[in-house]
Amino acid sequence: MSDRRLPRLLQSPAVILLLIWMLIPLGMTLYFSFIRYVLNSLRRPEWTKPALSNWRGFGNYEFVLENKDFLLAIQNSLFIVCSILFLTVILGVLIAVLINKAFPGRGIVRVLLISPFFVMPAVNAVLWINMILDPVLGLQGLAVAGINDLISSLQNAPVVGWFFSLWPQFEPISFRATQTSAIAVIMMVTWQWTPFAVLIFMTSLQSEDQQQKEAAILDGAGAWSQFRFLTLPHLARPIAIVVMIQAIFHLSLYAEIEIVSRGNGNKNLPYLIGEFANNNIGAASATGIFAVILANIVAIFLLRMIGKTLME
Amino acid sequence: MGRIQLEKVSKSFGDVEVIPPLDLTIEDGEFAVFVGPSGCGKSTLLRLIAGLEDTTSGKVLIDDADVTQVSPSKRGLSMVFQTYALYPHMTVRKNIAFPMRMAGLSEDEQEKRIMAAAESLNLTDYLDRKPGQLSGGQRQRVAIGRAIVRDPKAFLFDEPLSNLDAALRVGMRIEITEMHARMKTTMIYVTHDQVEAMTMADKIVVLQAGVIEQVGSPLELYSAPKNLFVAGFIGSPKMNFIEGDEASKHNAKTVGIRPEHIDVVESGGAWTGTVGVAEHLGSDTFFHVHDTGLAETLTVRALGNVALNHGDTISLSPRVNEMHRFDDQGLRIA
Ligand SMILES: Nc1ncnc2c1ncn2[C@@H]1O[C@H](COP(=O)(O)OP(=O)(O)OP(=O)(O)O)[C@@H](O)[C@H]1O
Ligand SMILES: [Mg+2]
Repeated sequence: MSDRRLPRLLQSPAVILLLIWMLIPLGMTLYFSFIRYVLNSLRRPEWTKPALSNWRGFGNYEFVLENKDFLLAIQNSLFIVCSILFLTVILGVLIAVLINKAFPGRGIVRVLLISPFFVMPAVNAVLWINMILDPVLGLQGLAVAGINDLISSLQNAPVVGWFFSLWPQFEPISFRATQTSAIAVIMMVTWQWTPFAVLIFMTSLQSEDQQQKEAAILDGAGAWSQFRFLTLPHLARPIAIVVMIQAIFHLSLYAEIEIVSRGNGNKNLPYLIGEFANNNIGAASATGIFAVILANIVAIFLLRMIGKTLME
Repeated sequence: MGRIQLEKVSKSFGDVEVIPPLDLTIEDGEFAVFVGPSGCGKSTLLRLIAGLEDTTSGKVLIDDADVTQVSPSKRGLSMVFQTYALYPHMTVRKNIAFPMRMAGLSEDEQEKRIMAAAESLNLTDYLDRKPGQLSGGQRQRVAIGRAIVRDPKAFLFDEPLSNLDAALRVGMRIEITEMHARMKTTMIYVTHDQVEAMTMADKIVVLQAGVIEQVGSPLELYSAPKNLFVAGFIGSPKMNFIEGDEASKHNAKTVGIRPEHIDVVESGGAWTGTVGVAEHLGSDTFFHVHDTGLAETLTVRALGNVALNHGDTISLSPRVNEMHRFDDQGLRIA
């Protein structure tokens, strides 16, 4: 027996389990995406059972590509994911750098900052869309109404009244509308996931070498230069991790989209899969394969970009 | 120019006074070495000069200008850290260029100075590597290169060689000494290595618990230590201290005699004892002598190889004119 064989043998259960774990769902999705497979069909009852005799080739893919919602869903997926990544990384770095300095009450501030991460996504969505963003009853509605009341009362004030009578009435924005529902989703998910970024960046900042900072201070680097040339490169890897993990999570956003607008105007790929899966499993599987490809492209693209810009 | 003066400088961390008010002047072009046991405040003193720590009270002057409130980068000093503190994401070239880039020097000037520094430090082949791909000695050279290109008024070194192995340490020690001889820039060098202090310094500053025990040239400290602490700290192996009758004979509370000032004689020496550990180095032999009735152990250094071993009786003859006498307070009696 060669030296290698025993370790390989001992590793194999884990490796095989992981392969099965990954390959079976992927294999089934691939298989379903090439056959006709629907849940209900009175006209063609043979399609309700998955079978090779229902082979459709790339028919499902063509069907999906021709669907008017498909391109929109891809665009929307990318828009939502990239916006969330952009915002969480920037906010995360800013907040992490801010709370990295010692100040009274830092412990409590840190706990409070992390807390949004422990809210369930569906609850988070309901809270935001109903209590914060609602144009009438939410904080937004109340704030806009308050501002309008204040302006109209100031319009009757003596001396400055003419100035305020030039001001318009403010209109609250409805975040359930076609054009804005994606924005609402981005806001709520950013709020929920920024703490994750903060947490990762904070731990990384703590391992930053203080002597390098001191050397940079002596070399004449100001606060910005220190941040740009030392802190940001130091954070490049954690940023890559945050981007990777979030990209994977947010490409599969579902609850928020369902709760905000039932997919009205801001379907993403998972939502489209969900709609197809109401009946057409074949098309849903084909969309799933597109989603896998998209996720890979996004991940590779983002990682390249981060590596280039931050590592100099 | 680079004359550094400390006037009544003190430093406390919270309630703990690490450095009580002290005065010190380092002349332009001098190579000053701070030595002292671990935790005595050497690094703190250096960081006070660099401006990385704020003084609790007192003034720091560089070339007679008060820089106590001046930011570290404006003081015109370069520092080399024990851990090198290179920027890990930048190549050697960019590391060395960094201070010049911050100062806004032209690309041409930067390149010129980088090449000059790289040549004098033997770094030309490594300019495009990252610090992670260099050996400890090469990293230290890069750190020195980064310090040189700023053309500072003074260099501050905080134990720059303590992470290197013994052979490299000797080499770098000589390089730094040569660099000083060539550039004639003020250097302040922190170490707890005796040999570095003795060989490199124009002026040694011996510190204990933040207090300056003595300032002087290496040979002054060796031949006329002001007190017991300096006497015990400078010199290797350590000076022997003898109290009691033998000390009273010389009208002192304590007398000290260095191992190299006790001669091993055939017989009839003033002192006799039994050899404990004998260290035969070839060039020298060190004896740890017990049962002399003077002190627990006497360390004796004999030139060349002396064929005495563990348990042998040894006869010793101290050179009385090389003895150091100390009073009740541990201060030197002239
Ligand atoms: N930031 C700080 N806060 C509190 N105490 C400190 C701080 N920095 C240093 N000290 C204390 O000041 C004293 C002197 O420290 P310093 O680093 O100057 O010693 P050192 O002589 O350089 O020692 P070593 O040879 O081990 O480097 C030590 O007792 C240390 O605990
Ligand atoms: Mg130190």
